Amino acid sequence: MESWRCHVRTELIQRDSSQKDPYSGVFRSLFQLQEKFEIRKEIWEDLQSQSLEQDGITFVELHLWLRESEHLSKKLSQTVSDLTSVLYFKEAELQYWQSQVSRYRREALSLAGGSNTLKATLNQQEFTLERQAKELAALQKEHVRLREGMVEAWKEKGELLQRWMEEKKEEAARVNKYNDAQERWRRLARRLKKQLRGETVKPSELTETDVTSGGKEATFK
Amino acid sequence: MADDKDVLRDVWFGRIPTCFALYQDEVTEKEAEPFYLLLPRVSYLTLVTDKVKKHFLKAVKPEDVEEMWFEYEGTPLKWHYPIGVLFDLHALNTALPWSITVHFKNFPERDLLHCLSNSVIEAHFMSCIKEADALKHKSQVINDMQKKDHKQLWMGLQNDKFDQFWAMNRKLMEYPTEEGGFRYIPFRIYQTMSDRPFIQKLFRPVSPEGHTHTLGDLLKEMYPAAIAHDGDSKRFQVLIQGIEPLLETPLQWLSEHLSHPDNFLHICILPVPTD
Repeated sequence: MESWRCHVRTELIQRDSSQKDPYSGVFRSLFQLQEKFEIRKEIWEDLQSQSLEQDGITFVELHLWLRESEHLSKKLSQTVSDLTSVLYFKEAELQYWQSQVSRYRREALSLAGGSNTLKATLNQQEFTLERQAKELAALQKEHVRLREGMVEAWKEKGELLQRWMEEKKEEAARVNKYNDAQERWRRLARRLKKQLRGETVKPSELTETDVTSGGKEATFK
Repeated sequence: MADDKDVLRDVWFGRIPTCFALYQDEVTEKEAEPFYLLLPRVSYLTLVTDKVKKHFLKAVKPEDVEEMWFEYEGTPLKWHYPIGVLFDLHALNTALPWSITVHFKNFPERDLLHCLSNSVIEAHFMSCIKEADALKHKSQVINDMQKKDHKQLWMGLQNDKFDQFWAMNRKLMEYPTEEGGFRYIPFRIYQTMSDRPFIQKLFRPVSPEGHTHTLGDLLKEMYPAAIAHDGDSKRFQVLIQGIEPLLETPLQWLSEHLSHPDNFLHICILPVPTD
């Protein structure tokens, strides 16, 4: 039991043991004596007014006994009626608790139904989660593989670029070499033309044809 | 729970030994003996003092008899407060039996309400129950009850029948399980140090975050001085039904078990006696 609940119960018992219990017995006795005194006083007054003389004390005693019995029987009938009403309330209480039990039973059943549905949904969700986890793992693997492929491709691309640059460099050197040769040929031709102009015989066409065929060969190399 | 039902019984059958004495100046016919009575804590003074009236009327001249009223050490006792509340507020730390003075003259109009018959007490009692149910269930439960059910509540209190009363009052103590308690807790905080009759505000049994409110939470909000802080000595006694519950006691449980028949939780705050 929670400590606060226990504390309340203990305090109530202590309260009654200091306030109610020491006095209830005394007060009850006092009340009963007062009641008895009232009855006897009433009877005494009745008897005095009737001024009965025959059999004196015996009659008075009998009368007292009768009135006290009447009073007791009245009290007993009151107790019986109280007990009957208590019984009635207990029956009503029993019915109430039975209705509460059936209410809680219904509630428990509906909660159990709800719990089953939730369990089924949970299982389904777990299954979906597992499937998605597997898919994710496969995708992650694929991702790693593609990444590696990409790294490889980048490396290859770099190498190819390097090769292409070198090729271009070589090509530029070849073009430069060819251009130099061309330049030399042109200069040589100019010189030869000058020499030729100075002479009377001009075999210039033949010489030019030879120079041109020599340039084409350099390009193919 | 069996233990909780015992708490309900202890609350219902709480008694205060009382000695009634007629005010000296009003004795005219013959010397009146004091009258002793065990008063039920949950009832009302004027509802349980028919015998007191009958006893003292013999000592007073019929022409001097006006409405009966009670006083304790100069303070007129309000009949519309439960007897237990009156005792806890005014006489808790004094010797028993509780000595109450009975008057038949000079009714203190400024301090007390008139109570000429039991129907006045019944009207007051039913209006308290209705107010409490308005706070707890928006009046749905009390409005769903029939006239005879209302009568059963009243007769249960009037005739001191625990089973009769609780057979009906149980319905007023129900609440939807998912809500964890009533809408608001019907409570009244009384203090002797103030002229204000009592503190009554709206307070829920559960916080918006779903935490259960305790007696300590209520006092922190309504009367912070009543809570002793670490290191400080205790300055106030917080009493419900003549006992001091722990501050961690859930308010909902207190409302269900320590409320008076009017369905209000009556909380008395008194300064700690110095002697």
